Amino acid sequence: MTFLKNFVNVLSVASISFILLSSVFFIIVYFNLMGGRLKSKGGIGFVVFGAILVVAGLFVRPLLYLGVAYFLVLWALAGLGGRLWDAKVGKWMLIFGGAGFALSLLDGNFFLIAAKPDNVPIAAMIFLLGIFTWIALRKAYYNDQAILAGGIPYEKTESDEKLFTWPDLVYTEMLCMIILTIVMIVWSIGLRAPLEEAANPTSSPNPAKAPWYFLGLQEMLVYFDPWLAGVVLPTLIIVGLMAIPYIDTNPKGNGYYSFRERKWEIGVFLYGFLVLWSFLIITGTFLRGPNWSFYGPYEFWDPNKLEPLVNIDLSELFWVKMLSMPLPKLWLIREAPGLILVMLYLGIAPLLAIGPFRRFYQKMGAARYYVGAYLFLTMLALPIKMVLRWLFNLKYLVHIQEIFLNI
Amino acid sequence: MKPQEPIPHNYSMRTLNLIFALTSIGLLAVTGAMVFYDYVRGWKWFQLEFNRIQQGRIEQELRANNDEAMRKQLAALDKETREGQVEIARHRDRYVAAQKELEEWEGRHYAADQDYRFAKALLDAKRYEVEAAHVQHRADEHQKQREYDELVARLASRNLRLQQVTRDRDAARARVGVFLANIQKVEDRRKELTAKAELLQKQLNSVSFPSANSLILNAPMVDFINPTLKIDQVVLNDLFIEMNYMAVPRVDRCQTCHRAIDRPGFESKKEAERLLTELRTKLDKNLIEPSRRADAEARVAELERTTKASQDILNPFRTHPKLDMFVGSASPHPLLEYGCTACHRGQDRATEFGRAGHTPMSKRMEMRWKKVSFPLFPRTKDYEQRNWGYEVNPFLDTPMYPRQYSEAGCVKCHAGQIDVEGAEKITKATHMVELYGCHACHKIDNWRFSELQKPGPSLEGIAEKTTPEWAYRWIANPSRFRPTTRMPSFFYQRNMVGPAVPPAERAQNVKYQDAEIHSIVTYLFKSSTRRAWSAPTAAGDAARGKELVESIGCMGCHISQDTIKDDKGVVRVAKRDDFPLERHFGFNLVGVGTKTNPNWVFNWVKNPKAYDPLAPMPNLRLSDQEASDITAYLISLQKPRFMQDPMRPPDPKAVRELAKGYLINTMTDRDAEAKLNAMPLRAQLEYLGQRSIEKYGCYSCHDIRGFDGLKPIGTELTIEGSKTLHLFDFGFFGDSTHTHDYGNDDGEKEHVLHTVPSWIYNKVRSPRVYDDRRAKPYNDKLKMPNFHLSPEEAQLVTSVVLGLTKEKVAENRLAARDPRHRASEEGRKLISQSNCRGCHVVNRRGRAIASMIPDPNFLPPDLTPEGPRAQSPWLFNFLKDPTVMKIRPWMRVRMPTFQFTDNQAATLVAGFAAEGNEHQFDTTQFLTPSAQNIAIGREVFTMLRCQQCHSLTQVDPANPPIPNIADTQSLAPNLTLSKIRLRHDWIADWIRRPDEMIPGTRMPTNFPRDPKTGGFQSPLALAMDSPQFAAQKAALLPYFQDETALKKTMGDAVALTNYMRDYIWSIGIDRMRSAGAGESTPQRVPLQPQPTTPPAPATQETRLR
Repeated sequence: MTFLKNFVNVLSVASISFILLSSVFFIIVYFNLMGGRLKSKGGIGFVVFGAILVVAGLFVRPLLYLGVAYFLVLWALAGLGGRLWDAKVGKWMLIFGGAGFALSLLDGNFFLIAAKPDNVPIAAMIFLLGIFTWIALRKAYYNDQAILAGGIPYEKTESDEKLFTWPDLVYTEMLCMIILTIVMIVWSIGLRAPLEEAANPTSSPNPAKAPWYFLGLQEMLVYFDPWLAGVVLPTLIIVGLMAIPYIDTNPKGNGYYSFRERKWEIGVFLYGFLVLWSFLIITGTFLRGPNWSFYGPYEFWDPNKLEPLVNIDLSELFWVKMLSMPLPKLWLIREAPGLILVMLYLGIAPLLAIGPFRRFYQKMGAARYYVGAYLFLTMLALPIKMVLRWLFNLKYLVHIQEIFLNI
Repeated sequence: MKPQEPIPHNYSMRTLNLIFALTSIGLLAVTGAMVFYDYVRGWKWFQLEFNRIQQGRIEQELRANNDEAMRKQLAALDKETREGQVEIARHRDRYVAAQKELEEWEGRHYAADQDYRFAKALLDAKRYEVEAAHVQHRADEHQKQREYDELVARLASRNLRLQQVTRDRDAARARVGVFLANIQKVEDRRKELTAKAELLQKQLNSVSFPSANSLILNAPMVDFINPTLKIDQVVLNDLFIEMNYMAVPRVDRCQTCHRAIDRPGFESKKEAERLLTELRTKLDKNLIEPSRRADAEARVAELERTTKASQDILNPFRTHPKLDMFVGSASPHPLLEYGCTACHRGQDRATEFGRAGHTPMSKRMEMRWKKVSFPLFPRTKDYEQRNWGYEVNPFLDTPMYPRQYSEAGCVKCHAGQIDVEGAEKITKATHMVELYGCHACHKIDNWRFSELQKPGPSLEGIAEKTTPEWAYRWIANPSRFRPTTRMPSFFYQRNMVGPAVPPAERAQNVKYQDAEIHSIVTYLFKSSTRRAWSAPTAAGDAARGKELVESIGCMGCHISQDTIKDDKGVVRVAKRDDFPLERHFGFNLVGVGTKTNPNWVFNWVKNPKAYDPLAPMPNLRLSDQEASDITAYLISLQKPRFMQDPMRPPDPKAVRELAKGYLINTMTDRDAEAKLNAMPLRAQLEYLGQRSIEKYGCYSCHDIRGFDGLKPIGTELTIEGSKTLHLFDFGFFGDSTHTHDYGNDDGEKEHVLHTVPSWIYNKVRSPRVYDDRRAKPYNDKLKMPNFHLSPEEAQLVTSVVLGLTKEKVAENRLAARDPRHRASEEGRKLISQSNCRGCHVVNRRGRAIASMIPDPNFLPPDLTPEGPRAQSPWLFNFLKDPTVMKIRPWMRVRMPTFQFTDNQAATLVAGFAAEGNEHQFDTTQFLTPSAQNIAIGREVFTMLRCQQCHSLTQVDPANPPIPNIADTQSLAPNLTLSKIRLRHDWIADWIRRPDEMIPGTRMPTNFPRDPKTGGFQSPLALAMDSPQFAAQKAALLPYFQDETALKKTMGDAVALTNYMRDYIWSIGIDRMRSAGAGESTPQRVPLQPQPTTPPAPATQETRLR
């Protein structure tokens, strides 16, 4: 049991769990949605990645855990293939997930976190997210199969039927409303709406946590400067969500579920929402303890735990570590490497437009393409920065204190 | 058109309707639950439960009230009423006529009264019109004035008419009354009889539940109008609670659940027993006013019922203990003015158990509180088993003081006082803090703990007193040499050599600690003066010395034993608790011979101030022979085995490493090495010694040369009690949800609760405990020394620390708020600093020496009434130089010469006067009584046989003859010394009530109090006629008109005592020697030239580190 708990604790470390989660995302897309085979070229690529992890794990212990977990997941999901979307498999996944959660509650430390009234919605959210995503993808998978076989999507078959607004729609909606109200009242009575003591500015709780829906933002603050993580990125998220209907002009998939016909649109969205945003919220809730240090789900939140402050800027990495010279006085020169990197990153979009993504460019037109591409690049900046932090302890790519610009 | 095909429904309507029905009912139910949940509050249950208890009591009382006798009386009254009615029936016609007439008059009166009132209303309205017309110079000014005058006249006539009608109506009433008089009388008597029952019934109605009234008034939604269950609160406008950035008046809602807190009758059995004993003693001694006696007796009966009741009243329904001191309306701290949280702390406005800030006193209590039998609201079972569903809440800014620390709340207002009456614990605790010297290392910025002397002896002359070998062993382990010592242990503590420290580190720590002790000793002896003290001038006799030490008063401040026989006769090592605090003022004499040398002891006991002008030890005016004897005795107190304890030589490597650790704070590693290479080991030790004294703060308690002006070493404690929980470092003792057991330094199991009181308690009990399991560099480890406090002592110290808060109190709420209080407190402070209580009783406390003096006749006097007793000039002189008068020359205990400065002596005199509520100066000394009074007084004096004990021969005050001390029962002061010493009016007062002033005094009570009136009785009124007083009677008669007048005076205790006072006044001497002016400036023996240059003062940088 202790071993299992340690295993989970190690896997939960942000760097490991993020890589694992991203891998699972691509495995599912490849093997379970696109019908990929292990023995194909792509399949071997996944195996090679796992092998690299294991070999690296021989030197870095946590990566070994990651490698083992990765192969387990790869084996299970690749083996299931399309059967992942069977109702029976779904049921068993839910049962295993629920049982795992319930067993975890037996652990004192986990119970304290999961049973905290503030955190209950997030525990529920994990399951709801999983269930609804699974149902949507299941429908998409079966429709894709039907279309591949030359048939029509399921939704099309029932589109000629007609129903009354009342009672079939409004009545059921009202019932949902009543049931939801009941649940909310029972919930608020049962959890005793957690008001706390009068705020005292000289003694704040440790950890001081944002409300659950902002925990993703709070977690982003670990990797980005506040003006980026707190202002620019949230604005872009909202702007990006509003821009989706104008960027996505793919007429396919209207009125029915399908993955193959919209794999980029759905893929990007699910990656951004599930792997990035929800992952950050869950991390912020369950895995960030006193002093915003990282704690495994079964670890005791000991306020004495400290994380070393050894992050460095790219300028230090480049000038001091690589060139063994003091930092240039002029910030333009000092930050030149970072600025050039950022320019290069932003310059990818036009390059791709004439390169591999030419098809997109032609189909979408310049305006749509560039708006979409820069939104996408901004989103990708988050995992890139996270990985850079984990691998190189990189604090900022560009760190210009003089004008308060940090990237 | 084709008829439309019926479109099928997606869901079965039946099912949907069913779901709708069920969910609607569910919604209704949860809405009800929401209201219910909002409605059911814990405090309501407590109020109901308390009402139930009251209901039971009232019903019982009603039953007791409605006994056989009462019923008989009521039946008799019924009979009388019936008879009266028959009587009226007989004169029916006349009665009816009178009645009718009365009705008419009543009608007229009503009308007349109304006319009068209306006229008055019109007049008032008109008055404004007139005034307005005047002011505005309106045309109708005169018209209005006329109308106004008319109305004035009308009112006068209406008034006249009303008076007339009233008279007539009253006459008519009287005519009817003639008939009804009998019945009315009966009714009045009935009312008188049933008044109590009616009152009880009224009370019963207000508490009984369920009753129609209470159900309606307390129903949900309706209960905003006038519920019987409601939150009770007191608003305290001048006691504030700190709400971050803002102090707001406290609103205490505690009585919402603590219903009977200010109501007697709900005491716990223990408290009831205490009250019973107290009250009975008062009754027996006739100390209760006669008018209050009946009430007191009723209260005794009530308390007896409480002690015999089958069930003890539990909290929250108990009465507050000591209601005459706290909470009671007649107490100094009435509920309406002080509330609850001003003393107990806690969240004033909260009405929920945990939110209110209740804090458990122990782990067991916490476990019990945490349980809950039903999560929504408390039930009887919870109340009986004290389960409150308590949750630790680390975010409460001001949790309550746990019960054992409740007196911490006194400090806030009483920090300007030395003794707090009724708060013995905190009085003892503050004295302990002062004696152990917490304030020396930890700055405490309030009157009580500022400007106190350093608690340890001066070390500036340590080389004259002892040897480095002894000093080393002493510093290493002081309590091994003297188990009761106040000197704490700094070295070889649990974070250095405890079982939790890894063995390799332990060995290293031992080396470091050895090196530090050696270095401290080296520094101390290097910086010490080396004056040559003369040898004892006479050959000493140890046996005589022992006898002297035990009899002349040394034992008021010192102990000379390190073992003690407990109750079972088993000899065990003595603990500090075994002796009164006052006797720890001086050091334990055990082992003095091992520690020091005869020359030093001889000169020290002869004149302590010669060694150290600030030495707290007074001068006992020993002759050379006495001093030699005492020296011989003290030197014979040896502890040879202590000096055989191993003394490891300093490890040069360890010394070097430690010294380097300090050096590299200000210089580079290379420079430090170079500097160390240039220093011999001794120089390194001296350097390290200076740094170590700084590190451990030795200079905070001892005077050490080279450390003048350094700040105290410890954390400032001025507002320690206000610090919030997160500012305390619990180390690895878990967080709010964990309590941890650990073995304390005595090997007992203790635990750390996650509360501030628990942190402080464990800190003082085991100061290094929070280093457990921590890996710290040697110099970063905790260094607070171990005082080896017992759990009780640790609790006391903790309560003082908890009481030091930043909560501000309005000036008018402070205990010592006027000049008289200030003067008395300044006096008390000096009394405490001089340890007067070692020998004297002051304010009914003290006389630690009593256990050493078997005969109470040889005890030093009780100073409780010293203010009203002593004349200020005499007291001033006596304090400055006690040799000016020997009041009791037979005493072996000596009043020492404290060498008070004029200022100090004046402070004491003023303090005593203020204490006794007396003026500091009076002119009684110059009163001359009349010859007649003196003559009467002399006769009364003879009759009461005062001269059996009191001598009347005039003597030299400084050197009176010693009376025959074989008969210790009849030793009393010479009365000729009274006039110069005592206050005029006090003498008479003292003769009247000696036992009330000083309980247990040997002065007999000649004028006992009368239990009925409370006045004084005189035995002479009756004894006058007995033949043995014939002569006196004959002598007295001429001074009175006749025998009756004489007898009257002889029965008047006040007059008699006044005559006696006049007689005593007449025989007193007028003069005595004044204290010399030079006495108060202690002389320090001149210093030898210093052998070495003084060490460099510590630099600012190193001290900050």
